[in-house]
Amino acid sequence: MSPETAAQETSLEAPSGQTWLPKAGAWFWLATAFLATIFALGILAFILRWQTGWGDRRLWGYYAATFSFLFSTALTAPVVSVGLRIVGGSWRRPVCRVAELFSLVGILSFLWFLPLIRLIPPARGRLSIWYGLAGAPHVWETVAMATLVAAGLALLYWASIPDMARSRGGGGKLTFLGRLAFSWTGSGRQWRVLKAGLLLLGVFYLLMLVFVQSLFASDFVVSLVPGSKDALFPAYHVMTALQTATALVTLTLFLLRKWGGLQDYIGPATFKGLGRLLLVVTLLWFYFWWSGFIVMWYGRRPEEELLLELFVTGPNRPFFALSLGLNFVVPFLLLLFNPIRKSILGPSIVSVLVLLGTLFDRIRLFTASFSMTESGNAITRLPPARVPDWIDLFILLGGLSGLALTFLASIRLLPVLSWWEITEGLKLQAERTLGRKKVIMVAKPE
Amino acid sequence: MFKDQVLGLCRNPETAAQAVEALENKGFSAEEYDILTATPYPEGTFGESRHRHRLYVFPFVGAVLGLSVAVLITVGTQIFPPIVTGGKPILSIPPMIIIMFEGTMLGAILFTVIGVIFESRLFGPKLGLYDRRITEGYIGLLVTSSPERVTQAEEAMTGAGVQEFKRLPAGAGGR
Repeated sequence: MSPETAAQETSLEAPSGQTWLPKAGAWFWLATAFLATIFALGILAFILRWQTGWGDRRLWGYYAATFSFLFSTALTAPVVSVGLRIVGGSWRRPVCRVAELFSLVGILSFLWFLPLIRLIPPARGRLSIWYGLAGAPHVWETVAMATLVAAGLALLYWASIPDMARSRGGGGKLTFLGRLAFSWTGSGRQWRVLKAGLLLLGVFYLLMLVFVQSLFASDFVVSLVPGSKDALFPAYHVMTALQTATALVTLTLFLLRKWGGLQDYIGPATFKGLGRLLLVVTLLWFYFWWSGFIVMWYGRRPEEELLLELFVTGPNRPFFALSLGLNFVVPFLLLLFNPIRKSILGPSIVSVLVLLGTLFDRIRLFTASFSMTESGNAITRLPPARVPDWIDLFILLGGLSGLALTFLASIRLLPVLSWWEITEGLKLQAERTLGRKKVIMVAKPE
Repeated sequence: MFKDQVLGLCRNPETAAQAVEALENKGFSAEEYDILTATPYPEGTFGESRHRHRLYVFPFVGAVLGLSVAVLITVGTQIFPPIVTGGKPILSIPPMIIIMFEGTMLGAILFTVIGVIFESRLFGPKLGLYDRRITEGYIGLLVTSSPERVTQAEEAMTGAGVQEFKRLPAGAGGR
């Protein structure tokens, strides 16, 4: 079957003009108002915490945990799009834009990061990956973070240009988005450059993300805890972020399908694919955690036992147990069953669990590392678990609200689905009857 | 030299493919016409030749520049201060690798963005001859050539079934 025939037999059409935006009913504005209030309270809580000064790092543990959660969700989400675009496959088409829109949350994350970098001591005179290099880690980590955020924004802009140009349709006044498309006409050359550019920017984003996540994990956890030499920890941080980002994208797609009026475009095949991906990253979560854990557990040197106590068996045990259960045990047991994994609701529920699990995991890691007051080559005494006060809680809730609020704003600004990719896919597929079963036939021109 | 432009609007890929064939039969080269669409079609759908670009050169140039700057900064900041190292090496290689990677990536990303803008001619002076119905699924066939050749193109496209045209005379702001 030729692509043209498939196109003729396709019944769905991508909308044109401004009709791509999800419906913004009363619930949308109510949710926006609620999130904006919580976010404003979060900013107030941050200002109050600021008044206490920067001297006591313990007070900023929840702030750091919130940033790490933002980093692991919003800043990592574009990688889901990048990965799926590289691999190909038709089910990824509704996923790409949703994942890339989280790049806009990168601006919030970067602003959140700036006060945090102040809390890290200079690299000189202490053990770190920087060997006391000038400007480290502050200058280099900030430049790396800024590069990552800028790359995400470039990726989002470039992937959205054809849809921005689409807003010129209808023959009416040129919209703001239409103007942002500049001289895009959709010529053969432009499409080729678009696809090559998306590939390049995507790969660079992926490389930068792994790099910045590793730097962040090294500087904000490993180097703050005396005696911590866990070389696998940065990889664990990256891997758990990939799991969380997949969960965030899955949950967002579910919400858009359920309440955004996009059920015709976000189909069961997308959730089936994401369910598989979630199972894979869930298994990898355990592998990376176990690989780091077994070294210290088997080694059993006094400083290693104290490290295990700090992060796993000691005062942070409830957070660890919740994380292990919500990031691995329950998702694994649920996703193991085909009816759950292949459904729409199953992966979405698992995504909620994973997001909660990662939040507890980040609280465990960052409140522990930020509680360390001693320096040297080994821990000599364990700090108590940091119980959150109301300022911590509002900082945490403010960060989460900021994430959701920025995303809600982004879907009012840009098309929430990549219509040019969806339309491209629709041209290449058709429903056919094979015996007594209806099947989707997909043409592969490459 | 100013050139005329004509934009033929096709309702489906078949008509567009026939129009491209008609243009090539009349001796129009690939540089003289372009196909404008709202969504990408597989290459060769309209019988057109492959478009070439040099985007892949940009990240390489950026990466080399970024790496060079990173090496200069890291080596310079370590050599310049008169530090007594007690026989140890002056340059600390492991953190240099971190910054060299960072510089390489920064350069590559920056130059990719520049390359994407340049190679797609995104910031051209004007949109040129265009019809907004292209964003709604029509396929545009844009021919840019001398006035006589453009008239020939219009005739060829009409023969292939294209019914609607827009024309931009030379010097009227076309690309």
